[in-house]
Amino acid sequence: MSEEKKKKGGFFGAVKEFVYGVAAHDSARFALKSRASMEHLFILITMGDMLGVPILPPYYSLRLLPYVVPHISTWKRRMLKEKDLTDGLA
Amino acid sequence: MVPISLSKIFDEFPERRYIMFGGKGGLGKTTFSAATAYYLAKQGKRVLVFSVDPQASLSDIFKKDIFGKGPTEIMPNLYAQEIDADRRVKEYQQEIRKKILDMYGMEKIPDEIESYIQAAAAEPAMEESAIFDEVVDIVVHGGYDYYIYDLVPLGHALYYLSMASVYDEWIDKITNLRQQMREYDQVAAVMKRDKEIDEDAILNELLYIKERINKSSGILTDKEKTAFFFVLTPEEMIINDTLKAAELFAKFDVPLSGYIINRVLPPELKSQQIPEYLKNRLAMQDKYLKVIDEVFKGQILASVPEMERDVTGLGMIEKLADKMFY
Repeated sequence: MSEEKKKKGGFFGAVKEFVYGVAAHDSARFALKSRASMEHLFILITMGDMLGVPILPPYYSLRLLPYVVPHISTWKRRMLKEKDLTDGLA
Repeated sequence: MVPISLSKIFDEFPERRYIMFGGKGGLGKTTFSAATAYYLAKQGKRVLVFSVDPQASLSDIFKKDIFGKGPTEIMPNLYAQEIDADRRVKEYQQEIRKKILDMYGMEKIPDEIESYIQAAAAEPAMEESAIFDEVVDIVVHGGYDYYIYDLVPLGHALYYLSMASVYDEWIDKITNLRQQMREYDQVAAVMKRDKEIDEDAILNELLYIKERINKSSGILTDKEKTAFFFVLTPEEMIINDTLKAAELFAKFDVPLSGYIINRVLPPELKSQQIPEYLKNRLAMQDKYLKVIDEVFKGQILASVPEMERDVTGLGMIEKLADKMFY
């Protein structure tokens, strides 16, 4: 019984995955990418002084520090390599 | 010039539980805070007088070392507290370190993070923020009928107020950003058909910070529960500065309850044999008392004489309280 159910779930699961892959994967990826950019923007405005951009009173930024610890190194890398139009002029 | 009685104000508005004295440095804010605390305690109210100034002088006035010792009983019903900002910052740093170690099961804080924690604590605003935060603790904790803020000199007090409103706006903005991020999470979750998304711990922290800031700035601007008194002396410069400050405070919606004149030379001196110098001082004082009377019409709550000696120790505080509240 339980095996049958599992099998059924497996089949529908596969269909589900397939439909998701065709229809929604890109959108979901885009949403997550936007989300990641915003995460980095968020760290910039709360922890900006790590890059030399002081923005938030440090007393409260310390409260948030524990949550962003894992993101700090990718954030720094990204912020420092991010290009904008003016880079082309230089 | 007959001032309205200060004690009448306290009788009339018993719900005003947060009492503040503002004014330029050295005019007697701490003295008046202590005397008011004494008066209210004698009336049977439980009173906490605390200093938000890193260079506090409550210890001096009560002749008792209370620095960093929490609320200390001075006499029945009267408690005084001086916040040790430095220690609070250190404890706070330690708390953050522990949280990081616990959250990620680390043995040691990564260098980069550690140096950030140390740099942040060296910021000049850190001390003020730490005191600000402790005041919220004191007020939220409760247990007293009256809270008397021994405030910092004017400039700092204004900084406090503006800090509250800047923090508030700032937190609103990033909270919005955080909520937007959450929407993207939800979109992705729906598309991937995930049932739940994790709670956003950062969003919760932000909401907590916002609540704390609103609490303290809310008290400073609460017309029902807060009484803010300005201290001034009969001198031209002080009158001008007080006027300017009062305008600024009004802009931040601080409920001004009235003005108290300090250091008034006793007028009966005039009928005595006094040197030319004192005569001149008295003439000048009369002139500026008139100015004060015109400028702050109907808002003068007390006129306190220059005392014969420093106000320190309970004996002198009692004497001064008698002159303030009659």
